[in-house]
Amino acid sequence: MFLLLSLLAFSCTSQDICFEDSVSELVASFKTETNDIVSDTTISGVTVYGIREDQPIYLLYDSIDVSEIILPLDPHHNYSNFVFQVNNEADTLNLTLKLTHSSEVYLISYTCGFGNLFTLNDIQYEEGVIVKDTIINPLINTSLEEVDEHIWLYF
Amino acid sequence: MNISGSIFKAGLLLLFMMAMWQPVAGQDTLRTYGPRFGIDLARFVFILADPSEMGAEASVDFEIYRNLYPVFEIGYNSISESEELFNYSASGIYARAGFDYNLLSGKDRSQHHSFTAGARYGVSVFSHSAEDILILNGYWGDFEYDSYEKELKGHWVELVAGVKAELMPNFFIGWSLRYKILLNPDMDPLVKPQLVPGFGTGGKDSSFGITYSVFYKIPLFKR
Repeated sequence: MFLLLSLLAFSCTSQDICFEDSVSELVASFKTETNDIVSDTTISGVTVYGIREDQPIYLLYDSIDVSEIILPLDPHHNYSNFVFQVNNEADTLNLTLKLTHSSEVYLISYTCGFGNLFTLNDIQYEEGVIVKDTIINPLINTSLEEVDEHIWLYF
Repeated sequence: MNISGSIFKAGLLLLFMMAMWQPVAGQDTLRTYGPRFGIDLARFVFILADPSEMGAEASVDFEIYRNLYPVFEIGYNSISESEELFNYSASGIYARAGFDYNLLSGKDRSQHHSFTAGARYGVSVFSHSAEDILILNGYWGDFEYDSYEKELKGHWVELVAGVKAELMPNFFIGWSLRYKILLNPDMDPLVKPQLVPGFGTGGKDSSFGITYSVFYKIPLFKR
């Protein structure tokens, strides 16, 4: 009886599904505001690069029409830099988006290991294409749910 | 809660109970009373099954009233495991206090066999740490983090069922099954402890436990 119970106790292990990467990603939704009414919007021809120090730039989006973008955050620094390119009829508009954040490690699960938990502190960008921002949820971890929205960018 | 203070108070309580208990002179005394000390042998079996986890546990109880046994247990647990992406360790001491009630209603008062049901409140003071943490990141490059460490306290309650058989006068062997519920599962919101000493492993909010112990009762008096 004792042996059976012992075997049962040791045979119960959790089965977690792990991803290859443990990247924490921020979801930025695109909005417009007219007469204090905020609505979703789709921006055409969006190209986004991740700017990495001492490394080649990383192409995240290549000239596509999107209403939200997902941006991986840099665990090596307290900021993450991205370059936006938006094609309009006349020209290609460029802007740099700097996300300032702090981070700490947390255990995703014993099977999957650790991830970075970011706290978004500030959003900086050149005025022009983006007119305003709102931080919806400042905490960004590796678990990206479909309903997650971290910031709104107003165009 | 100061665990050393709790241990001291429980010890004082046991001494007080022993001091208050006066044998009745001239009465035909059959039942033996005294503190019963035990060691959990299951800990040693668990070490053989899983060398990464170590522990030891001792207990003392005393039949303060017929079939009612206040119980005090103390122990140590540690775990040290090496995973692919990090190394984890935890260690600390724990104490439990509670009671057992003997459900056997034998007419022979000299028999000390028991089938008990009871409850415990447990508290553990421990530390856990993770080292050589590697977080895989295909965008920005893998992130290495040297060490994460935290001091923690865990609290839980247990429901206990067990049997004890008196193999020889004052010498017992017995086992218990326990269902445990952790009262503060979010004690570390960043790293859920994989071991709460005295409660269990696996980072769960409830767990089952088992003890298999030998006991010796110091026969202080009969009544």
